[in-house]
Amino acid sequence: MIPRPTNADPEFFRKLKVLVVEDSAEMRRLLAALLESMGVEQVVEARDGLKGLDAFIEHKPDIIITDGAMQPMDGYEMTQRVRAAGAVEGANPDVPILMISGHVERENVVHARDQGVTDYLPKPLSASVLYEAIVAAVSKPIHFVETPGYRGPSPKRHLAARGIDDAGF
Amino acid sequence: MTDRNNKNRGTSNGEKPADVRFVRVPSIAERKLGTDYVAPMRLDPRVLEQMQTTIKGLEARYGDTLRDQVRTLLTLVEPACGGDTEARGRLYAIVHDMRGLAGTFGHPMVGRFANSLCSYVESAGMDAWRDDTVFRFHIDAIREALDSPGADPAITLETLNALQKLIAASAAERRRMG
Repeated sequence: MIPRPTNADPEFFRKLKVLVVEDSAEMRRLLAALLESMGVEQVVEARDGLKGLDAFIEHKPDIIITDGAMQPMDGYEMTQRVRAAGAVEGANPDVPILMISGHVERENVVHARDQGVTDYLPKPLSASVLYEAIVAAVSKPIHFVETPGYRGPSPKRHLAARGIDDAGF
Repeated sequence: MTDRNNKNRGTSNGEKPADVRFVRVPSIAERKLGTDYVAPMRLDPRVLEQMQTTIKGLEARYGDTLRDQVRTLLTLVEPACGGDTEARGRLYAIVHDMRGLAGTFGHPMVGRFANSLCSYVESAGMDAWRDDTVFRFHIDAIREALDSPGADPAITLETLNALQKLIAASAAERRRMG
């Protein structure tokens, strides 16, 4: 009997293309290094939401990891535009979007959810929170709602910042 | 491969139903692995260990970055509180960076002091820059926490409480001045 590949092993992650949208060079370096540790070989980086949108269309990532606060376009607006984009030039509008933010207050998480964010990860980021969020994003079937101008996770679902009790503050 | 269940939501008062469609898209694992995919995907402790090793490896380099950032902050306080908007932007960006990263790299107290200062700037807005006291005390606390990472947590928490009182006093002063 031929053994099936372990689902979460690096062979699988090697096939993923991840877009990191983050204005902090240190944070981009950290995320790229952590993704590489997971086995992800294709990491595309963008410094703000506007460049992130361009990269989304050009590179067609499987997952987007984005910061919240950025200039000139933040991660919330970029998410809203991705969800409103439809299948622009072959880019995948169903892409899971993981937002990493230091603003874990309820209103910020709800705002992110309403724009179409899939999961909300608190800063400071831990390896386990990132790993769990990515595995959840890639392994679960995607249930979306589609309305004129929006295709994404239901804005009525419950969403809380992941692992907030372990976040350090 | 997309399943679509068109379920228009009707209303009881005869309004036109909203055009809402529910869509189930196969997971990324299903699409990439095809029949090899067996749900649920399990976390691999070896991968997590490798990620934690990666963070450890970046810690020393980040410590140097933090020290450089603290030195830069000290040079920015005076122009920022003197009306230089570019200095304000740079100062806030650095502290915001610290808030997000210091905890990940084993400097949780630096992260907490940075969070306190960011929150102050975010809540006080332009008024925050009228006086440099809050900034200087926070930057001193950040420097102390960086230089003495093994300091007694009770003392660092006391410092954090003192900073919160300083912020509250500053807010009260602003209210008094109108």
